Amino acid sequence: MWSKVLTGFGYWDVYAWLSFFLVGGGMVCLIRSLGRTDYKEGTDQDEIFFGSNPVPEDGEDLKVPASSAYWGYTQALKPFYEGLVGLHTGMATDYVGWYILVTALVALLVLV
Amino acid sequence: MNWQDHLPALLLAVPLFGAFLAPLTNIGGKGLRNAWFLLVSAAITVLAFLLWVRVGSSGPLVYVMGGQAWNLALPSGMSIPVRILMEVDAFSAFMVLLSSVAALAGAVFSVAYMERFSGMEKFVALYFLMVTGMFGMQVTGDFFNFFVFLEISSVASFGLVAFWRDRGEALEAAFKYMLVSTLGALMVLVAVAFLYSRYNVVNMAALGKVIEWGMVEKTALVLFMTALAMKCGSVPMHMWMPDAYAEAPAGVTCALVAVSQASLYGLFRVCFTIYGSFMGSPVIPWVIIVLGVLSMFIGVSMAVIQKEIGRLIAYHSVSQVGYMLLGFGVGLLAMGDAKAVADYGFTALKGGVFHIVNYTMYKGLLFLAAGALYYATGCRNLNDMGGLGRKLPKTMALFMIAAAAIAGLPPFNGFVSKLLIYESTFAVHPILSVFAMVTSVLTLASFVKIFQSAFLGPQLKKFADVKEVPGFMLGGMTILAVAILFLSLFPTWSLNHLVEPAAKALLDQASYIGAVFASAATGGGL
Repeated sequence: MWSKVLTGFGYWDVYAWLSFFLVGGGMVCLIRSLGRTDYKEGTDQDEIFFGSNPVPEDGEDLKVPASSAYWGYTQALKPFYEGLVGLHTGMATDYVGWYILVTALVALLVLV
Repeated sequence: MNWQDHLPALLLAVPLFGAFLAPLTNIGGKGLRNAWFLLVSAAITVLAFLLWVRVGSSGPLVYVMGGQAWNLALPSGMSIPVRILMEVDAFSAFMVLLSSVAALAGAVFSVAYMERFSGMEKFVALYFLMVTGMFGMQVTGDFFNFFVFLEISSVASFGLVAFWRDRGEALEAAFKYMLVSTLGALMVLVAVAFLYSRYNVVNMAALGKVIEWGMVEKTALVLFMTALAMKCGSVPMHMWMPDAYAEAPAGVTCALVAVSQASLYGLFRVCFTIYGSFMGSPVIPWVIIVLGVLSMFIGVSMAVIQKEIGRLIAYHSVSQVGYMLLGFGVGLLAMGDAKAVADYGFTALKGGVFHIVNYTMYKGLLFLAAGALYYATGCRNLNDMGGLGRKLPKTMALFMIAAAAIAGLPPFNGFVSKLLIYESTFAVHPILSVFAMVTSVLTLASFVKIFQSAFLGPQLKKFADVKEVPGFMLGGMTILAVAILFLSLFPTWSLNHLVEPAAKALLDQASYIGAVFASAATGGGL
């Protein structure tokens, strides 16, 4: 039993997961093998579809920048993020201030 | 006498010797210096492994420096140990072992990564000094030496964070790190002074034997706790961490991950071994739990919106430290109640301990992969990257292993420790598990962001000449990837041989205390 971890509430079996991925991978290969075989490399079939526009030569004009990732999530949580980022001032005095504040709070909780 | 009796001393002497000889090896050229760097790093990994095996087979090891005999803790009828004493139990040995692996990976990686820069003899010397301090914190048996080793590792780290001194950001990060670390270390010293003034001892086992729950002890505990929580990057005292981790050379950051774990080790040694069952209040465990939840959630929330790869991964460090604090906090809460320990406390502790090793391995690998991207492209900003999967396929594969592990994707090891933490913390309050699971989802989201931004997408013209990173860098990353795969494929072995002995040692306060006083009896015969 090298693979199974009993948590007291449930268990984790790594080989069960590996078997799952193996079966899943096999099914993917099977479905792929059922696809069309008349695909020709280097022809129009190989062209990138870019909304019927010419494909830019440099990938720079195509890529999605990291700052666009999770735009909806950050917009939806804008007030939360404004507050959170505002706390991260980057000022060394604030770093020390937070440390002193936490020490004082914990001291209050423990000593009083 | 068996030479392995001296493993605790060798563990400190070898890297210290490595540090002081490093400038001399430079006379023999780059080849000799690099060979020295690798040889000493490999030697300390072997020593750490032997120490772990030794402690696993024969129990806690006590080593006395500067005394009549190495195992004579109480000479001449003394009732308290006064020498420089090291005590290595299963938890210390576990920490030393995983720290040595991270330090080795960082060293192998740095051989190629730092090749373009001058001052490497200073780099190697500082690196080994940092490692000496880190090991010292993990094996010392007294508080004053803990403070000394904390300072050694911190001062060496300041120099390494500021190693690229032509970058203003690196100097600023080192200054901030120095400011908060020095303040934290001073508070540790004040806490030691409080306990020394009360009990006239600085030895951990002796303190654990006599400590009571009074005003002085409470004050010392508060100072220890907040200082060490700050040093391991707990929210809201975490802000130095993204600055320092992102600016240090990648190999150093990999080792810094282990250095911050040494502070975490100190925190748990204080809470479990010194105070332990004498802690007459649930306030401290709950404070640790709250700091853990805040660290998990705030850390990952900040990580999601980062654009600079090093800072993104560093904010994840804050988040992962939160998991450990949560697991250990719940374990501490259950301590003293045998039923609670059996029901969920020991599982939470195992989760916390397992997460320490998982975190050190995959976080080290992530920082090295980020360094590899910087080495290959000269970019740190994810907005400037893209399509690198074609150019850096091996780096991408290694990054994927670490990213899948930290996100807890099956069948990787990250989920095993998280599962133990989710289930055990649920028994205390379901909201704790909810926070832990939401954090895990956001962790996956942010690593998908890195993967998509850096490796996927169309090929960029500016990266047309980018080549796969050198072999030594891949070698450093592979060490950690192999460790991750091993932990993933053999979770039961890892739990039984690595994690459980360490978790049991933390709960077994009597064994840690007894080892010093028992060695007094046996050592007298030598």
